[in-house]
Amino acid sequence: MNLYSSKFKYLLLFLGIITAVGCSEDYLEKTDEYNIDSENYFNSQEDYYNALIGVYDILQSTYVNVLLGEIASDNTLSGGESATDVIGFQQVDEMTHTPVNDNLDDIWDWNFAGVQRANYLLEFKDKTEFAGKNVIIAETRFLRAYFTFELLKWFGPIPIKEDARFVLGDEKTIPRAPKTEVYAQIESDLLFAIANLEYTAPQVGRATKGAAQALLGKVYLYQGTDNSEYFQKSAEVLENLINSGQYHLYGTQGNENFANLFEYVGENGPESVFEIQYTGEQGAGFGCLQCSEGNVAVGFQGIRNYTGPLFESGFSFNVPVQEVFDLFSEDDERRDLSILDIEAWADQTGATYAEGYKHTGYFNRKYLPRQNDNLGDANLTQPNNYRAIRYADVLLMAAEALNRGGISDSRARDYLNEVRDRAGLDDVEVSGNNLTEAIYLERRLELVGEGHRFFDLVRTGRAAQAIPGFIDGKHNLFPIPLEEIEFSEGNWEQNPNY
Amino acid sequence: MKKFTCILIALFGGILSMHSQTFSVEGNVTDENNMPLFGVNVLVKNETRGTVTDFDGNFSLPNVSAGEVLQFSYVGFVSQEITLTGSNFLQVTLQTDSQSLEEVVVIGYGTQQRRDITGAVSVVSGKTIEELNPIKIEQALQGTAAGVNVLPSSGAPGAGININIRGIASNSVNGPLVLIDGYQGDLGTLNPNDVASISILKDAQAAIYGIAGANGVVLITTKTGKKNTAPTLQYDGYTGIQETSRKIPLLNATEYALLINEAYANNGQALPYPNVSDLGVGTNFQDAVFDTAPIVSHNLTLSGGSERVTYSVGGSHLYQEGIVGAEKSDFTRSTARFNLGIDISEMFDFSANTIYTHIDRRSINESGLGSVLFNALNMAPTFGINDEDLQGRLGNEIINPLAQIANTFNDYNLNKFNGSFALDFLPIPELKFTSRIGYSLTNSKGKDFSPIISYGPGKVFNTVRSAVNQNRINDNSYTYDLFGTYENTFAEIHHLTATGGMTVIRNWGDGLFATGYDVPNNSWDYADISLTTGTNDGLNNGAYKYDIRKLSFFGRVQYDLYGKYLISGMLRRDASTRFGPENRVGYFPSVTAGWILSEEAFLENSNTVSFLKLRGSFGVLGNDEAGGAQFYRSLLDGEATYVLDGNLVNGTALGRIPNPASGWEESEKINFGVDLRMFNNKLDITADLFREDRKNLLIAGIPVSGILGGGAPGAGAPTINAGTTRNEGFEFSLKYADNINDDFRYNFGYNATFLHNEVVAVNGTDFIAGGNFGVGQPQPSRFQAGFPIGYFFGYKTDGIFQTQAEVDAHPSQAALGANAAPGDIRYVDVNGDGVINTDDRTNIGDPIPNVIMGLNINFNYKNWDFVSYTFASLGNDMVRNYERAQPNVNRHAYVLDRWTGAGTSNEVPRVTTGATSNMAFSDYYVEDASYARIQNVQLGYTLPADALSNVGVSRLRIYASVNNLYTFTKYRGFDPAASSGEAIGGGIDYGFYPIPRIFLAGVNLNF
Repeated sequence: MNLYSSKFKYLLLFLGIITAVGCSEDYLEKTDEYNIDSENYFNSQEDYYNALIGVYDILQSTYVNVLLGEIASDNTLSGGESATDVIGFQQVDEMTHTPVNDNLDDIWDWNFAGVQRANYLLEFKDKTEFAGKNVIIAETRFLRAYFTFELLKWFGPIPIKEDARFVLGDEKTIPRAPKTEVYAQIESDLLFAIANLEYTAPQVGRATKGAAQALLGKVYLYQGTDNSEYFQKSAEVLENLINSGQYHLYGTQGNENFANLFEYVGENGPESVFEIQYTGEQGAGFGCLQCSEGNVAVGFQGIRNYTGPLFESGFSFNVPVQEVFDLFSEDDERRDLSILDIEAWADQTGATYAEGYKHTGYFNRKYLPRQNDNLGDANLTQPNNYRAIRYADVLLMAAEALNRGGISDSRARDYLNEVRDRAGLDDVEVSGNNLTEAIYLERRLELVGEGHRFFDLVRTGRAAQAIPGFIDGKHNLFPIPLEEIEFSEGNWEQNPNY
Repeated sequence: MKKFTCILIALFGGILSMHSQTFSVEGNVTDENNMPLFGVNVLVKNETRGTVTDFDGNFSLPNVSAGEVLQFSYVGFVSQEITLTGSNFLQVTLQTDSQSLEEVVVIGYGTQQRRDITGAVSVVSGKTIEELNPIKIEQALQGTAAGVNVLPSSGAPGAGININIRGIASNSVNGPLVLIDGYQGDLGTLNPNDVASISILKDAQAAIYGIAGANGVVLITTKTGKKNTAPTLQYDGYTGIQETSRKIPLLNATEYALLINEAYANNGQALPYPNVSDLGVGTNFQDAVFDTAPIVSHNLTLSGGSERVTYSVGGSHLYQEGIVGAEKSDFTRSTARFNLGIDISEMFDFSANTIYTHIDRRSINESGLGSVLFNALNMAPTFGINDEDLQGRLGNEIINPLAQIANTFNDYNLNKFNGSFALDFLPIPELKFTSRIGYSLTNSKGKDFSPIISYGPGKVFNTVRSAVNQNRINDNSYTYDLFGTYENTFAEIHHLTATGGMTVIRNWGDGLFATGYDVPNNSWDYADISLTTGTNDGLNNGAYKYDIRKLSFFGRVQYDLYGKYLISGMLRRDASTRFGPENRVGYFPSVTAGWILSEEAFLENSNTVSFLKLRGSFGVLGNDEAGGAQFYRSLLDGEATYVLDGNLVNGTALGRIPNPASGWEESEKINFGVDLRMFNNKLDITADLFREDRKNLLIAGIPVSGILGGGAPGAGAPTINAGTTRNEGFEFSLKYADNINDDFRYNFGYNATFLHNEVVAVNGTDFIAGGNFGVGQPQPSRFQAGFPIGYFFGYKTDGIFQTQAEVDAHPSQAALGANAAPGDIRYVDVNGDGVINTDDRTNIGDPIPNVIMGLNINFNYKNWDFVSYTFASLGNDMVRNYERAQPNVNRHAYVLDRWTGAGTSNEVPRVTTGATSNMAFSDYYVEDASYARIQNVQLGYTLPADALSNVGVSRLRIYASVNNLYTFTKYRGFDPAASSGEAIGGGIDYGFYPIPRIFLAGVNLNF
């Protein structure tokens, strides 16, 4: 037995060595692969920059926010070919939308995709150090704020996650954060961006300090109706921006021509505080509208079967109503630059076109497709940049904050009149509530066709009077997509009254 | 000469001893290959007197008398009794008994006697492989093991063969785990002559392989030498010719022209062939592409052994030319092998083996739109043999198949070393430790050249710029096992075997691809990237690398009481890097039990029942093959394109949503079986009832919440463990073997497997689609709850509309593409809503057979032997998809029975060039592909030993055989047995390369 014992000792030693060397779970971690994937990226400045491009990319899909936001308002009707052409648009126009709406689902999916891409970068923000990283982080946080604010405007409380991607299962555990928490995150992101960005971006199209200030001013303004302290905050940040002297209204200096504001030559101009960039240099298809590098909204609101000068044809969605056309005074230079009277245009130029569904005779001229050599499907790749935040918007928001916050009607009037002046209109002299109404009216006219109106009405409590079919307490928010409610398995409740 | 002397001595000895009461008997014992057997027990029946044979198989037993019976017994051979009539020299030939209850069967990390096995294990013996004489080893499993289905992907030489054990349960990977002498291997490159036996673990017995065992396990044991045997040199060779096993009847030129005329006329168009009188039969492109092709095989083996060393070395060479494309689709396999076993000391045994394989293969375009056979079937017979379709009459895809073959240039080479080294350590007789490493190192290179060629304007196969694609691929693996086995019997009734250990597996490799443009002289001779000069804007090269590792621990306890109550339990813990760190460890338990009733008192003395065992098993197994890092980690292949400074810029973004929790497929297997032997072991019946529930199937594209970012460009839905399937069935095999007399022996084997397959659930999505039908049509195959895996989803038909009145009385079919007219297919309004539309699609068949069967017959009469192997598959459907839906292509001859007016046909619709709904995917295109195939018939003759011994040959057998002699089927296509092997999308026929019929003549020679 002694013999065996000694043998067993060797054996145990042998087994021990094998176990120590071969059996540790480390063996499974040391796999040797050339594989750059989501978990081992962010090893250089270039990696961060590339990931940032990925976040910017999603901005292009927000065309639907603009288009559908405008359709939801009293500025325009749905249009299109028929009552069943893009049924989701038609229902929102009629205020008959339900949780089953592909286009609302797109807004949910695409803006959350933007949040996810931003959070991917932010999740790894500490992995690799390099000079200038804070600029990339600041831009990323600006973009996260942009997408999050869109989601908040459309859907109200939403799930949020600090600097980390959502993972499978989060939809069942992370609740819809109260609006205050969502706002807190947006504000924190924008304050960081303001602190770390310059007024001039390293490349045209990237977010600037001004963009972050303007968006923060807007975010504060949205909270002003419930808590007037926010008017103070809003006015402060917006006036900081105004006083920076970095921007002016296009057409008021040098040889600028106001008529070119929405033409290609007016893109990324001095009035552009934040502008979403598009191009027609890459083709696109209906299978993936969010993949287009063009502004899909532009082709969608083009004149149906149009043949004639200047413009290209489109699908005749989002047609302005007579009322908004008539609201412009005859001598308002903005009227004919904002809204195309197609009959007058056809008479004048001999252009031909077809009448679509809910034809009003008007088109959203700011974002009509201009003749250009974009690639096919040409309706999906129109290169018109979307002027997400214009200096005119900033001036009007500042005016509103100053007036409604009871801070300074005189400065409010100055900003308002600066905008009116460019349009060739006389100054207003009113104060108090009359000034508020004047600012509201000016906002509607100045920004018609740009997707802001519906949310302005809702935040100021005027939507129910203005929009046929709008039920207060229901349509203030859009419904959470039904499948999302189902995916959450009871974690998320539907918005009220849907 | 020596033997002859022996015989003489024995004869004289016999005569001399005749006169005494008792005498001495001498003899020699060999196996059926005339190899001497060492250690055979020779006993006088009912007495203790006896002896054993020596190294040369000789024995001598004194003091025997006439009338006494000698028993010859040897493990692995059928015992034989001989009644002594005198002291003649006894030349005894023992028959191998592959079904012996004492036979040792490999069951994974050990062996077990057949009588003690409690799981469902089939064994295919070396003898069966020898008889079947397969070109590839997979073919030896078809029809020889119950529950195993072998599906060739093509009849092309060297083409891949898929194996399914007890049906398919996964939506992705269904092939079994293959282990060669314990290490991970590959059946595809193995030389069948190197295989000694194959064990197939079909139920929870395979749970010892845990995460890799769910699809069943095939254990290959390669040939070794035998201890104490003289060196033997064996040569096996054959040569033969091959021809197609089927041609599809097609229209000749006149029939074709008349049909096309009719189709045009039916659409009110001018006749394209106003004069058909001198068209004759035209060109038969099908005949032109099929050749008779040679095949030749050589195998040489030297084996033997001494007291402490065994050895076996061998080499082989196989050359097979294709029946389509001849040397453009050929296959060469050369192998060399050695196997060495050494007993180093009392306590240490060492063994090593290595196989080198070289494969050289060329191939033609097959099984798809645009394949050679697809073109041969669709090329109009009015074209001359060398004509091209220069007017584009046949659409953009159909080209002259002969020109296509002539312009096909490719070559594939594989070099592989695989083998193992093992050290056994036996500190005490009851305990054995095994440490072994198996390895497989493969490198392959491929090259294909596309010359500048034009088949006519607009043809998709035109090449305007020559290019050569080359690749180099390395695939390596090792399997390291360390385990111990303790076996002992306590108090004479408790028999215990305990096994425990670990396994480490690593699979790694890489690949490199590149393309060179502008090949000098537009010639294959110069087709190499080194000679190309062209540049190209795109990326002309690519590479990949992978590294998959598994670490496993396992234990098994086998216990039996009185040798008749058997139970075993197994547990395996696996960790696999195919899954994310948070979900890569799994535990796989199983239990098996058996009861040998024939050992009980009430059966012990039965004359009818020789052996009876009931057994059952239950276990949890896994399939990790479906997994991969791409599921738990996100690739950065999302679209990230924006416009900065007015220019497009590209960044990086997340691709498909990862699922860190993605895990293996989990299988629960339950099996009840009975092993019964009757009439003194002549009849052997095994029956099994089984069920497998496969859960957590990894399903791609399951919709998830938008907050995960799946809506982003280039992102997408994740792959989630979301599906469940069930396979249940019954299988049995029956063997009957008998010796009528010393000269005539025969045996029959029959096995059948009845299988029911169903998808139980797909969570999160309604179905997964797969496969292709026609051009631009929806995917025809589906994986959907309540239906068989990969069932065909389309319209049900109800004959042909005979009159306009019938059309008018039927729900509108306009939604399928055109209003119906008399002569069109009538579709069934399945949902009864008064209109035929996509909602009326339903289950119209599936590619999974309901029953598979094998019938094997074997006769031996004197020196003659005859075997035949037949396989049948019933209830499998196939989609006829080799017809191009284009007005001017040639057709299958069944269209001669088409509808041409009321009452003419209720099966084949009218022909017209106009729009019809007849192209919609319906059961008109789904055929019953049930078949029975005579796989092998072989007749052999062994020359008498005494005629050979003086030329130093101990055995010479010559034989003739036919492979794939005939296939009984109603299926109209080339091969009802072929399948792409896809779980979803299998059973769709683009014109499979038919399996060849092979006429062989061969020789088995032993020195």
